[in-house]
This record gives sequence, C-alpha cells and structure tokens, in this order.
Amino acid sequence: MIKLENVSKSYYLGDEEVKAVDNINLTIKEKEFIGILGSSGSGKSTLMHLIGLLEQPTSGRILLEGKDVSQLKDIELSKVRNRKVGFVFQSFNLINRFTVLENVLLPTKYSKEPLPFDPVTRAEELLRRFGISERKSFFPNKISGGQQQRVAIARALVMHPKMILADEPTGNLDSKTGDEIINILKGLNKEFGVTVVIVTHEHDVAAKTYRQIYIKDGQTVDKYL
Amino acid sequence: MKLRNGWLHLVKTALEDFKRNKVRTLLTSLGIMIGVLSVVLLIALGLGLKNYIKGQFESLGANLIIIFPGNISGSEDGGGVANFGSGFAGGAKFDEKDYLNLTRISEADYVAPMYMKSSIVESTTDKKIGSIMGTNEDAFKLMNIEIEEGSVFDKNDVQSRNKNGVLGNNIAEQLFGSPSDAVGNIVRVDDLRIRIIGVAKKKGDREMDNALIIPYRTTFASLNPDKTFFAIYLGTTNEDNVPVVKEKAKDILLKRYKKDEFSVTEQTEILSTVNQIFTIVNAILVAIGSISLIVGGIGIMNIMYATVTERTKEVGIRRAVGATEIDILRQFLTESLLLSLFGGILGLIIASLIVLGIRAFFPASLNLLAVVISFVVSSAIGIFFGVFPARRAAKLPPIEAIRYE
Repeated sequence: MIKLENVSKSYYLGDEEVKAVDNINLTIKEKEFIGILGSSGSGKSTLMHLIGLLEQPTSGRILLEGKDVSQLKDIELSKVRNRKVGFVFQSFNLINRFTVLENVLLPTKYSKEPLPFDPVTRAEELLRRFGISERKSFFPNKISGGQQQRVAIARALVMHPKMILADEPTGNLDSKTGDEIINILKGLNKEFGVTVVIVTHEHDVAAKTYRQIYIKDGQTVDKYL
Repeated sequence: MKLRNGWLHLVKTALEDFKRNKVRTLLTSLGIMIGVLSVVLLIALGLGLKNYIKGQFESLGANLIIIFPGNISGSEDGGGVANFGSGFAGGAKFDEKDYLNLTRISEADYVAPMYMKSSIVESTTDKKIGSIMGTNEDAFKLMNIEIEEGSVFDKNDVQSRNKNGVLGNNIAEQLFGSPSDAVGNIVRVDDLRIRIIGVAKKKGDREMDNALIIPYRTTFASLNPDKTFFAIYLGTTNEDNVPVVKEKAKDILLKRYKKDEFSVTEQTEILSTVNQIFTIVNAILVAIGSISLIVGGIGIMNIMYATVTERTKEVGIRRAVGATEIDILRQFLTESLLLSLFGGILGLIIASLIVLGIRAFFPASLNLLAVVISFVVSSAIGIFFGVFPARRAAKLPPIEAIRYE
C-alpha cells in the first residue's frame, strides 16, 4: 500500500536543524491494522503526516501503490488526500459552524470528479452505523467527545478511502470511550479491509493493533523502551 | 453539476458566516455601500443637472444669440470655465435703453429683453411657484413657444403695460384644472393682477411649463423696480447673419459698457461651456466618491485578514480532507466578493431610493451606467482587496494550520 524509503524530515529552529524523522524505511501493506508507538516528540506525528501526504519529506521517497508521491504538486497531493486517505485527529478537528452531517460531507465538496455514490446517502449511512444519526443536525460542540470522534471517523470514511490515519484518536477521551473508538477502527479494518494506522503513545492502545512500529528520536527502533 | 455544487458550497459557507457575524458583515460592507452610494448619486445628480440645463438651452429656438452681463463664455481669452463663477455677479445691468439700441440691428429679426424671477402665482383657489418672465412679443418666436389655448400678448400690450399674461402648461393645469379653464381668469403675482390670455403647449421643460410670461414693461411696476434685465435675446431667421448680429451687438454695447462687462454668446457656445463645466465637476465628485470605495476596500481586506486568522484551523482541516490551495483561495475570495457586492447592491438600492425621492424637485436620473458601475466596481474591489488575505490562507502549511488554536 505505502512504502517509505530512507525518508527524512527536518525542521529549522533558528539555525539549528531538527530531524523529526530520520532515515526511516517502512512498508505498510494493504488491509493492515498497525500501531505506531512513540513518546511525545519522538517524531511519530510527523511520520503520520508524511504517510498522509500532509507534509513533504526533506529527502527520501514515499511510494503510494507503487507510485512516487514525494514530489507531487499541491493539486495532485490534495487529490490523494481527498480520495485515498482519511484522517482522524486527537482533537477531532470538526468545523464547529457546520452541522454533523455537513462535517461528514466536507471531503465530498473537494472531489474534482463526479462521485460514484450519493454523498448524503453515504454520510447518513455512516452516521447510522456509528449510532449518531439522530445527531446529524447538531453542531459538533453540542455533542460528546466520543460522538465527535465518531463524526470524525465518518468524515474520514465518506470518500471510501483505502487507508485511515488516526493520530492519538483516544487522547481526548476517557478509557471506555477510547476503547469504543479503537473497536470501531478495528471493525472497519476487519469488515471492509481498510488499512488503519493508529499513532499513539499509549501501550495498551498499540497493543490492540496487529503490528507495532516503535519510534524514538525520529528513527524506528526494535523495542519501545 | 459538480461545478455548480462547488460554488453553491462556497456561497453557502460564506453566507452562513455572514449570518453568524451579522454586525461585522454589515459594518464591513458599509464602507462599500457608502462609496457606491456616493458615486451613483453623484453620477445621477451630475447627469441629471447637465441634461436639464442642456434641455433648457436646446428648447430655445435656433440661431439664438444671448447677451449676458459679465464675462460668461470668455470666448475672447479662452478661459470659459475659469470665468464662469464671476459671470452673472459683476458686469452690466441691462436696461430698456440697451434693448431699444439692439432693436436697431437690421439683421436681427427678433430682439427680446428677459427679466426672470421665481415667485408665487395665485389663483382664487390655489397657488404655485412659477417663473415670472418679463419680455416682449418676440420672445414667443425666439423660444419656440406655441400656444395651446387663447393667444399671446402683442406690441401694444407691452407698450401700454397691459396686465395680460401667458401661462405655462403645467402651472395652468395645476391652478385651473385645464388650459382652457385658465384663459380669461386672473392670477395674482405680488400685487399684480394678471389676466391670462393664453396657455402655452407643453414643452417638457420645467421652467417653461411653469412660466408666467408677461410684458416686460408690466414688471416695471413692483416686480422689477430697477427696470433691469437678466439677459437680452436676439434671433435671426437666416443663420448666415449670426456673426453680423454678434458684431453689431458688441459695437452697440461697447458704447456703454467695458469689454468684460457683458458677453455675446451663441447657444452652442453656452452649451459647450456648460458641458465642459459639468464634465470637470462630475469627474471631481466621482474622484471624491472613489476615495470612500478604496477606504471600504481596505476595510474588507482588514476583516478578511482577521477572518483568515480566525479560521486557520478550519483551513487546515479542509486541506487535510483534500482542499487544494486554489479551493481555499476561492473560498475566501467568494467571501470578500459577496461582502463587497452586498455593500454595492445596498448602496445602489439606497441611491435609487434617494433619486426617486428627490426627483420631484431635482432632475436626477439613474441610468444603466450607474448600475453597471456599482456592480463592476464593487466586484473589482472585493476581488482586489480580498486576494491578499485569501492568498495568505491558501499558502498556510496544512499541518501548522490544523494545529493552530
């Protein structure tokens, strides 16, 4: 599905170069359910942004379905994000002035080609599946955190992506609700074969995935210490 | 379908934001509103006044030479516009002697002195403001005044100071109901009782249609104790005689007045002077109005920068779900465009209402040009001043934007 070859990403803090991701080689196969585990500042979020094409690597290649995507232009990158990847964030990142349904529909507004499905039907079906269809006309700040994260997952799924990238999806939730969210993601992987990558610093969250990658100081390590 | 959907989403997003920030939206578009309002209004007033004055002159007969006091056209030194202000104020005060001297020009077929004053004209039942014109029988020929009912006064009426008058069509209808009812009736002006012997046909000229034309000697009683005239009109039936008449008139007047105390002008010269003046005045007024448009545009830019900052996180979210830089640019441009257009339309509506309101007593007219200008200018301002904030939003790095709190 996606392959990283010698990928590095550095930032400049003043004159000082900081390597957030340092020469990582990584392959994520289709239909995997995978956890990227690292402490804060380990570079795991940057790694996720690179996989999700939200950032471009400083060096190295990223191959998506065999195609090098590390040097694509904004329009092509946006298209890949729109079609192939769905993001789920720690702080939900819903737009508060839009209703739940409108938030779920947001990615469909940016499709440059006609959609092979009816957006509203698709969005409502997803909301129903996650048990929040009666909340569809609510604004995000009027529903609970668990419900907001379900809306975010529905939004991530609306375009039928091949891969879901979840950055600390349970970070703002209590453990029970967090477990429910992980189970939803697990269900999606099992039922529809969606590739799911969960980035987390919590061992017990990572433990629910089928494969774990440990990150420390921007590099993959064999064992998380 | 897809494109329409995209624009619908953009417009809907913008309108929803306006709804949430009603006061801010209104205040932001206020600048554009005032700008468009003033520009449209100035054009309407300027064009209206220009057409009105043009119409006044054009309704006069052809081959008309008008002698005014003061240096109005400045045809001698070419400073027409510059001298206009000092025109009527200084200079000669024509009297009956000047008029009689001018009648001796053999090439001038018609010579008419002209006394003018706005005054209240009363019938037994009603009263209206009319323009009192004291002149002679030649004036009807000079100014193409045709009679609908009754007749005009003659030379004898002028000589004998008879209190016979001809009413304009509008004022006759307003005072007496119809032109035919007016003839034979009496109107009062100051302490004069004038018998209406004729009513003129409608000319479509406010001044002439509300005129009361009486023999100039009749005005000498109480209306015009100085026995002076505002102007003297000369006319020839043969166009070729116009230069001769002008020369002779100048020679006659120079015996009593200095060169710059009067001006002898043809109708066409006056028209071009009026045109020149109004073109300049209009340009200045529109330039002043444009300043408020620019200030309004800066207001929009300011608010759009604030909006971009406020929605940094939203931009990040949209970028994450697949919005391109151009999508983001378009979103903010739509917003500033709508904001500006909203102000422009509001300004146009208010300007139209004002024009409708003052139409009764001022010849203002709205034209297509004003409407087109309001739309084009406000769209252009919305886009021009919106493009900088929109570019800033589009260039935000997605990751930094999404982390913005």
